[in-house]
Amino acid sequence: MNILICIKQVPDMESKFKINSDKTWYDRADLAWRMNEYDEYAVEQAVRLKEQVGNADLTVLCIGPDQVKETMKKALAMGCDRGVHIADNDAHQREPLVIASMIANFTRDKNFDLIFTGMQSQDRGSGQVGVMVAELLGMDAVTTIVDFAYDNGTVTVKRELEGGTKSLVTAATPLVLTCQLGLNTPRYPTLPNIMKAKKKELLSIAPDLSGVTPGEETAACFFPEKKGGGLVLEGEAPELADKLIQLLKEKTGVLA
Amino acid sequence: MEFTREIYWNVGHGLLTLAPMYGLLLVALGVFVLGCLKRIRVYRLGQPVDRTDRRGERIRHLLATTLLQTKVFRVAGAGTAHAVFFWSFFLLFIGTLLIVVQADFTDLFFDVQFLKGNFYKGFSLVLDLAGLAAIAMLVGLAVRRYLVRPEGLTTKGDDALMHGLLLAILVTGFVIEGARMAVTEIGTPLALWSPVGLGVAKLLEGIGEPGLRTLHVGLWWFHLLLALAFVMVIPYSKFRHILTTSANAFLADLGPTGKLTSINLEDESTEKFGASEIADLRWKDIFDADACTLCKRCQDRCPAFATGKPLSPMRLVNQIGEAAFTDPTANLIETIGRDVIWACTTCRACQDICPASIEHIDKIIELRRNLVLMEGEFPGEEVMTAMEQTEVNGNPLGMGYASRGDWAEELGVKPLAEDPVVDVLYFVGCYASFDKRNIAVARSFVKLCQAAGVKVGILGKEEKCCGEPMRKMGNEYLYQTMAMETVEVIKGYGVKKIVTTCPHCFNTLHKDYRDFEFDLEVEPHTVFLDRLMGEGRLKVRAESFSCTYHDSCYLGRHNGIYDPPRNLIRAAGGQITEMAKNRDQAFCCSAGGGRIMAEEKIGERINIKRVRMAVETNADQLLSNCPFCLTMFEDGVKGADVEEKLRPRDIAEVLADRL
Repeated sequence: MNILICIKQVPDMESKFKINSDKTWYDRADLAWRMNEYDEYAVEQAVRLKEQVGNADLTVLCIGPDQVKETMKKALAMGCDRGVHIADNDAHQREPLVIASMIANFTRDKNFDLIFTGMQSQDRGSGQVGVMVAELLGMDAVTTIVDFAYDNGTVTVKRELEGGTKSLVTAATPLVLTCQLGLNTPRYPTLPNIMKAKKKELLSIAPDLSGVTPGEETAACFFPEKKGGGLVLEGEAPELADKLIQLLKEKTGVLA
Repeated sequence: MEFTREIYWNVGHGLLTLAPMYGLLLVALGVFVLGCLKRIRVYRLGQPVDRTDRRGERIRHLLATTLLQTKVFRVAGAGTAHAVFFWSFFLLFIGTLLIVVQADFTDLFFDVQFLKGNFYKGFSLVLDLAGLAAIAMLVGLAVRRYLVRPEGLTTKGDDALMHGLLLAILVTGFVIEGARMAVTEIGTPLALWSPVGLGVAKLLEGIGEPGLRTLHVGLWWFHLLLALAFVMVIPYSKFRHILTTSANAFLADLGPTGKLTSINLEDESTEKFGASEIADLRWKDIFDADACTLCKRCQDRCPAFATGKPLSPMRLVNQIGEAAFTDPTANLIETIGRDVIWACTTCRACQDICPASIEHIDKIIELRRNLVLMEGEFPGEEVMTAMEQTEVNGNPLGMGYASRGDWAEELGVKPLAEDPVVDVLYFVGCYASFDKRNIAVARSFVKLCQAAGVKVGILGKEEKCCGEPMRKMGNEYLYQTMAMETVEVIKGYGVKKIVTTCPHCFNTLHKDYRDFEFDLEVEPHTVFLDRLMGEGRLKVRAESFSCTYHDSCYLGRHNGIYDPPRNLIRAAGGQITEMAKNRDQAFCCSAGGGRIMAEEKIGERINIKRVRMAVETNADQLLSNCPFCLTMFEDGVKGADVEEKLRPRDIAEVLADRL
């Protein structure tokens, strides 16, 4: 079985974000970096599948500058067999379709049975790359999976829908799956696996941008404007009701 | 008259006595040696560790803990009884040896006798009283074990054997003496030098000489057989502690106290980390089980045990021993149990009180190392998250690393990257950097330094967790990563002295970092401030207040720092009402051993228990010196519902209020 896992390196969300000088994205200084959490679920599920079927080869793919290799090493330590790094210092500026095309161009002749990726990235959050890869490769895709089972070429997954509803989907490989929170708890790499990961193949290749026409441009990136703070009313219920009506009359038009 | 007695009186001199006696002794010694060899073979299943260096120190420790019974004596009652019994029995042993030397050597070959005159009088009196003391202690201990039986005291067949055999040896000794004296000494001035023997003689007098002689010779041989049986069973019973516990005093970990052994992570041939079976542990860990006397002092002091967690340090040590001797390939983690392994706070109460020099904590850490490094297992997901946070942001709280030094900006304290010329580097630690409650402590400490004219620098965003909680939780790899980065950063600035407000940072930088060629002077803030005050550089107003003081495990038991913090409190006007468990007996706050990262899911909350002990003192404030303790007590006063009554604070805060 041939499995691809697409991951992204993102800043830790606890970091202090600043807008960069072009005002098009965040500034990369003083940030701590980690694997996109949804991609961790993807890596974990792929490793579990390999543990189930035994005979599988896991390739982890990541696009970005050289520093993303640190994050790829974690995926290798978790159990991926080899890494493909698409070296691209401008990855953070690229729109989802361009990223998806880079992945599709690399993937096209590799015959992957399954492609796992996160349902979205924690920083850009477009949620489009996974499905676009499937479209470009002419594969089926199932998004936001929270449960996964594999049996002899058939994949059965649970999807999370709006309002917490779940749907059960059965599909045949080849297939693209995007992973959602709740799918699994990613493992903590063991020390022998961390050591082994250091010796695993990790190829850096140039991005193949053929057949892509960028169509988006970021006009501006900014923090949401600070609006007035909330108001907490205190007191007994009848009193509170009066205060609320008063406020609604004064400040809004809902009672007009 | 000559004050002496005829040795081998009524038993017979010469070969007819000596040949069977020494023949039996040889058999007994043979069985003894065989038993010892058998056990040594099992100790050798463990990994090597050198415990024969620093011999002078080792011999001193051996003599103090065995001959002076210093450690046994720390617990009054049973400890006192054991010490008195030991000294009595030791005197009787010396006495017997002197008899052997004279009767079977100096007298036999050179006609030299020294057991006579005034020396014999003293000899006779001392042995007589020693025998009485030994019997009294033995009876006392038997009453404790079999009638009173303190909670948790494990009693097995071995204990009956020991009490029975020793009592039989002592009692037969007196009856033999009494029988001899009834025939040869009653009415002579010499008899007064064996008061107990004289009493027995008077009881037996009525039997008449022929009967007494038969009784004497029969009991003499029986007594000999009992004594030889005693020698013989030493390696096969709990009597072995006479050898193993003494030897363990020589083999003890001489410190630095609480410093863990570093795993060599550079060695690529290592395939297994930590311990999951006997062969992964050190031979000393197996030997420790043989040195354990089941005195349960460790268990009595274990905060996990006291709050209903499944950990008993005593049981853990003995489970390792049992596995080594019965099933060495057994999986120790399954045998001992994960909840047991994770429950330890590494507070060192067990190891500190242990009269047998057993190293409990190292074993637990080795088991944890196996779980973390080989299985990726933690006590809970929250701990795994904390580990990942530390990898990403250099702190277990998951705060963005770049804001680590923000707290200090308004105080004018700069990172060394901006101003490297400072008197001391303040290694702030994660909690004082990010946790609101503990930032107040950091600010107080800086204000005190500034008032004393000490220029303080910090590492700011270059500082990372010292790695202590991760290391104690078994994550040696992450610890070493943090340690190496920290060592490199600090060394890069040519710092002369480091001060910490966290005893965990202190212990780690001061001791554990030695393995990374880090030997800068490190001081905890209480010691540092106490010195500034002593030098007259730091002055605070003494304003009276009532408080109790909690000795953190890592300042107290791990580093023996008990007085400087108390000096500071008194200088600030504090009247300390000590909790029942204080100084080296202090009860942990629950957060050591990496447990600060873990939820406490089993049993009673340790921090609440400790807070209740503080409430009992009726003090207004609960002072401590450690961010983990402070965090636990802030939580504990809420849990115990005493927020209005008891205010947890760091000593630095109290001092800063009085500048």
